[in-house]
Amino acid sequence: MTRSFRRSLAQGRTYLLVILLLLFVGFPLFWMLMSSGKLNSDIVRIPPVWIPFLPTLEHYEELFEVTQFGRWFLNSLLVCSLSTISAVTLGVLGAYSLSRLKVRGKELLGRSVLLAYMFPGVLLVIPLVLVFTRIGLMNSQVGLALAYLTFALPFVMWVMRDFLASVPVDLEEAAMIDGASRLEALRDVVLPQAFPGIIATGIFAFLFAWNEYLFAAVLVRSHDLQTLPPAMANFASAMDTRWGLIMAASTLATLPMAIAFAFVQKYLITGLGAGGVKG
Amino acid sequence: MARVRFDKLRKVFGRDVVAVAGLDFEIADGSFVSLVGPSGCGKSTALRMIAGLEEPTSGRLLFDDRDVTGLEPRDRDIAMVFQSYALYPHMSVRENLEYGLRKRRVPAAERDQRVARIAAMLHIEPFLERKPRQLSGGQRQRVALGRALIRDPEVFLLDEPLSNLDAKLRVHMRAELATLHARVGTTMIYVTHDQLEAMTLSDRIVVMSQGVVQQIGPPEEVYARPANRFVAEFIGTPSMNLMAGELDEEGGKARFRRNGVTVPLPDSLTAAADARQVLLGIRPEDIRITADSGEATIPAQVAVAELAGAEKYIYLDVAGMQIIARTDADSPVRGGDRVGLHFRPDRLHLFDGTSDEAKAIRAG
Ligand SMILES: Nc1ncnc2c1ncn2[C@@H]1O[C@H](COP(=O)(O)OP(=O)(O)O)[C@@H](O)[C@H]1O
Ligand SMILES: [Mg+2]
Repeated sequence: MTRSFRRSLAQGRTYLLVILLLLFVGFPLFWMLMSSGKLNSDIVRIPPVWIPFLPTLEHYEELFEVTQFGRWFLNSLLVCSLSTISAVTLGVLGAYSLSRLKVRGKELLGRSVLLAYMFPGVLLVIPLVLVFTRIGLMNSQVGLALAYLTFALPFVMWVMRDFLASVPVDLEEAAMIDGASRLEALRDVVLPQAFPGIIATGIFAFLFAWNEYLFAAVLVRSHDLQTLPPAMANFASAMDTRWGLIMAASTLATLPMAIAFAFVQKYLITGLGAGGVKG
Repeated sequence: MARVRFDKLRKVFGRDVVAVAGLDFEIADGSFVSLVGPSGCGKSTALRMIAGLEEPTSGRLLFDDRDVTGLEPRDRDIAMVFQSYALYPHMSVRENLEYGLRKRRVPAAERDQRVARIAAMLHIEPFLERKPRQLSGGQRQRVALGRALIRDPEVFLLDEPLSNLDAKLRVHMRAELATLHARVGTTMIYVTHDQLEAMTLSDRIVVMSQGVVQQIGPPEEVYARPANRFVAEFIGTPSMNLMAGELDEEGGKARFRRNGVTVPLPDSLTAAADARQVLLGIRPEDIRITADSGEATIPAQVAVAELAGAEKYIYLDVAGMQIIARTDADSPVRGGDRVGLHFRPDRLHLFDGTSDEAKAIRAG
């Protein structure tokens, strides 16, 4: 009796912790969603209006009718997809080389990948501007996607290297004996084993780019080409902060990631778990 | 089917890890040859060079008279069974079997036909739609064999394919492998550290140690006439008894001496000896134990008598050395007994010197 009581006490404690954590993480999201449906006058009212009695869609309407939200959203999708797809493709190939091929200085190369990943982005902005200006990539979405590769590529390489190293070499050797070329063996046999890891890594690379502000603000200046983070920042000016607009935009900007996470949750768990390969 | 010829094939890893010091022999078309030796002696490296998974440092490899040294694995027409089986985990058994055929663009109708034939031969029809992880060790082993057999390769390579099975299944699969080879007749090259597997399966065995071939020959010959000390000790369980001592002569008759014990040697054995320090070898089954310690016998004391089912191993103390004799299970010898030993003179082995490479001294 006392033992089962103690166990339920322990369980209760765990639940309490989880609930607190959920509140901590979830409250800003909740507040964002609620505020996006409030009249401007209700947003800053004290005491706060917790849940709008009659939600309004006026901020959402304004987003699409007055601002270029739709275009920015598509810009963001485009830039982030481009950088993520290139980072995953190149990163997986690079990681595979680092984990398998007998290249001289492989270890050094591997470590410099980590260094590249840790290198602070702020320090890269100025050099990037100089280079991009010279080669005509300023104010271009391809340029921005390229800039995102500076962190996305090392990230993918670093994470995927361990993933691929955990796939038994025997498998691809068997495939090559069975008649596959090295690239076919990678595609047919190695990648399916590393698939959860690739999905998880890709999502994270996408998320970094989706939330990125600094590069986006500095490298792309024209209104038409801008991505969401710098464009939304303009809703808050010195004169006046458009809370309703910001909240509505943030809600919509959160959606794709929320959907993506819901879909690939299964992969994230196996993917970020131990190595990801089962016998 | 093909004849496989090693032409001074050598593999060095890094600067100075000599995995294979130079293979120079030929494997006959359709034969079953085992590379056998202790772990780390370079067997797998040799096999992987045949497969094209490891690039030789120097030397050539020929299938029939075709130089395949620089070819990719897929261009060699070989198949290989890995110790880990290396079944593709995300594919069903059928897809595993078919993969090589697909890569070689075999039409679907023929693929189905071949899968059916191999599945029947290896009794894996019930599992064709399962994933490898849903199979037992023995079933996986069959699928791995099937995946190799289905392509009908010129050369069939097996790297310790039975070592992940439990003892009983291993003996069973060993017999099946022998049957299989008799049936398909493809050249098979088999790597194992288990000398018993090598002995029972092969037409010829290649004994290796530290990257160097020690002896090549049919199992009976390697067993009966080991070329050097290493082979003598490696082949056979319990291993051959080896006693260090001196060559000596008395009245024109050669004999072996150690701590006052002498063993008369046949003249044929001693003629070729250079050294005075030699090793005398005798296999456990070539020792006869008698109750009387008379003139013609070697005095010994029994330490332990160990019953192993159909036979008994008798641990004996001879001139301060322990040796093992093998007798029938009903032998009355017991621990503590003083006995006389008789070594079959035609089964004595003499080695020139005491190092691992000490050569066997042969008559003529
Ligand atoms: N890829 C490699 N790199 C460096 N050394 C290796 C490599 N593969 C094998 N070796 C070395 O070569 C020797 C022979 O190995 P191997 O052929 O696997 O032996 P076996 O199969 O007989 O146990 C060993 O000393 C091993 O450490
Ligand atoms: Mg090996």
